[in-house]
Amino acid sequence: MDNAIYTMLTRQSGLMREFSSVANNVANMATTGFKAENGVFSEYIAQIEAGSTVPGSATSLSMGRLGAHATDLSDGGLQMTGGELDMALSGEGFFQVRTPNGERLTRAGHFMLNQDRILVNPQGHTVLGTGGGEIAIPQEAGSIQVGRDGTISADGIELGRVGVFTADSITLRREGNNLWTAENIQNVEEPTIASGFLEQSNVNPVVEMARMIEVQRHYDAGQALLDIEDERIRSVARTLRQ
Amino acid sequence: MNALKIAATGMAAQQMRVDVISNNIANMSTTAYQPRVAEFADLVYQQYQTPGSLTSQTGSVVPAGIQIGMGVRPTTVSMEIVQGALSETGGDLDIAVSGRGFFEIIQPDGSSAFTRDGKFYRDADGLMVNSDGLALADQITIPNDAQRVTISQDGEVVAYFNNVTNGQTIGNISLNVFANTKGLEALGSNLYRETEASGAPINGTAGTEGIGVMRQGYLEDSGVDVVEEISELIEAQRGYELNSKIITAADEMYSATTRIR
Repeated sequence: MDNAIYTMLTRQSGLMREFSSVANNVANMATTGFKAENGVFSEYIAQIEAGSTVPGSATSLSMGRLGAHATDLSDGGLQMTGGELDMALSGEGFFQVRTPNGERLTRAGHFMLNQDRILVNPQGHTVLGTGGGEIAIPQEAGSIQVGRDGTISADGIELGRVGVFTADSITLRREGNNLWTAENIQNVEEPTIASGFLEQSNVNPVVEMARMIEVQRHYDAGQALLDIEDERIRSVARTLRQ
Repeated sequence: MNALKIAATGMAAQQMRVDVISNNIANMSTTAYQPRVAEFADLVYQQYQTPGSLTSQTGSVVPAGIQIGMGVRPTTVSMEIVQGALSETGGDLDIAVSGRGFFEIIQPDGSSAFTRDGKFYRDADGLMVNSDGLALADQITIPNDAQRVTISQDGEVVAYFNNVTNGQTIGNISLNVFANTKGLEALGSNLYRETEASGAPINGTAGTEGIGVMRQGYLEDSGVDVVEEISELIEAQRGYELNSKIITAADEMYSATTRIR
C-alpha cells in the first residue's frame, strides 16, 4: 500500500489510544487520589529505499506515533470529609500498603480500621507505618488525632506514624485500584498530611474536554486525508485503465 | 477502541454516586442516620509499553511507557461515622448516644441487631421496645404503676412510684462498640448486623472509655449535611454529562471510521 496511508494509520491508531486515555481520565474524575495521564506523541522515522547510493537521495518517512504517557503528578484538590482516619497528602509522596502481591504505593488516603483495629485501606490492605510495620489502634482509644506529619495519637499517646514514601518517578507504574508499583522507594522525612480530608482526582474537566475535541478533530482530519488518498489512487487506476 | 466502555464505567460510577447521595438526602431526617459515601478506584491498565523497559543495549529505558486505563470501578460505599446533633424531645424513653456505642436489639428470629436509634416505647407487657416492637436485649420491663422513669448517663434505669420517695433500679441498658464500625452491615430500619469485617460487638457500660454516654430525653439527628450532599450532587451530575460527551465523541469517531471506503 501507499506510504501516505500507513502514515495516517499510525496517526489514527495513536489518536484512538489518546482518546482512550482521555476517556479514562474523565471516568476517574471522582476517584480519590487519581492522577491524570497525558499522551506524548513522538516522531518515528522509517528509512525507505535504504539501498540508494546517491548521497542525499535516501528518502525517509516520518510518522507520528504515541510514544509515551506522562503522568500529571500535581496535587488534586482537597475535599473535606471529617473522617478521623481520612488523610490527604499534599506535595510529593505516596502512602504504602501491603497487598497479597507485595507492597504498593497509593495516594488514596481513605483509611479505616479492620476487625483487629489495624489501619487498612478500603480494599483491606494494611497501611504501613514509617518503619514498614502496621499501625494498630487500641479499643479503648478515645478520639484519634492525625498530625501533619502522619503521627497518629489518641488521648495524647502516640500510636504510630503513617509512612510516606517517594520513589523513582521513572519506574512508577499504574496497577489499577489506586495502586502504583515503583522501585527505589524512600522515606519522606517531613510529609504534609491533611487529616479529615481526601485528595480528589487531579483531572481537570476543561482540559480533558479540550483534548477530546482536539483528538476528535484531528481524527476527522486524518479520515478526510485517507478519503482523498483513496480517491487519488482510484483516479490513478482509472487513468491507467484508459 | 475502548473509549465507549471506559466512558460507560464512568457513567455507571457517577450514577452510583447520585444513588448514594439521593439516599442520604432522603434520610436527612432519619434518627441517627450515618451518611454514606461512595469511593472509587481506577480499573486495570493495558500495558502497551511498560515503563522502565529497555530501549537500547546501553541501558536506556522507556521513561513513561504507554499504559491505558480501562475506566473506574466503585470500591466501597462506607458509612461516614459522624456524631449527629442531639435534639431535645422530652420523651422519657428517648435516648441519644453521645459517643460510639450501639444499642442491642433482639430480632424476631432471635439474632441480635444493633442500632443508634434510641427511640423506645413500652409494649403491653411493659417491655422496652423500638418503633418496630423489637425488644432491647437488656430486657428492661417497666412496671405498670411506675409514674416516671429516669435513665442515667451510664444506662441505669430507675422507676419512681407514687408516694415513694426513692426510686427503684429496674435494669441497666448497655452499649456495644465495634472494632470497625464501618464494617457493619445495614439491615434497614436503622438496624445493623455484625460482620466479619466489623468484629464481634464489645459490650460495655455507657460512660466507660470510648463507648459514650446516654442522654435521656434526646434523640440523635441524622448526620447528613445537606449542603455537602447538594454540592456532591452537582459534581456527580456534571461528571455524568462529561462521560456522556465522551460517548458521543467516540461514536462520531467510529462513524468517521466506517465512512472510509
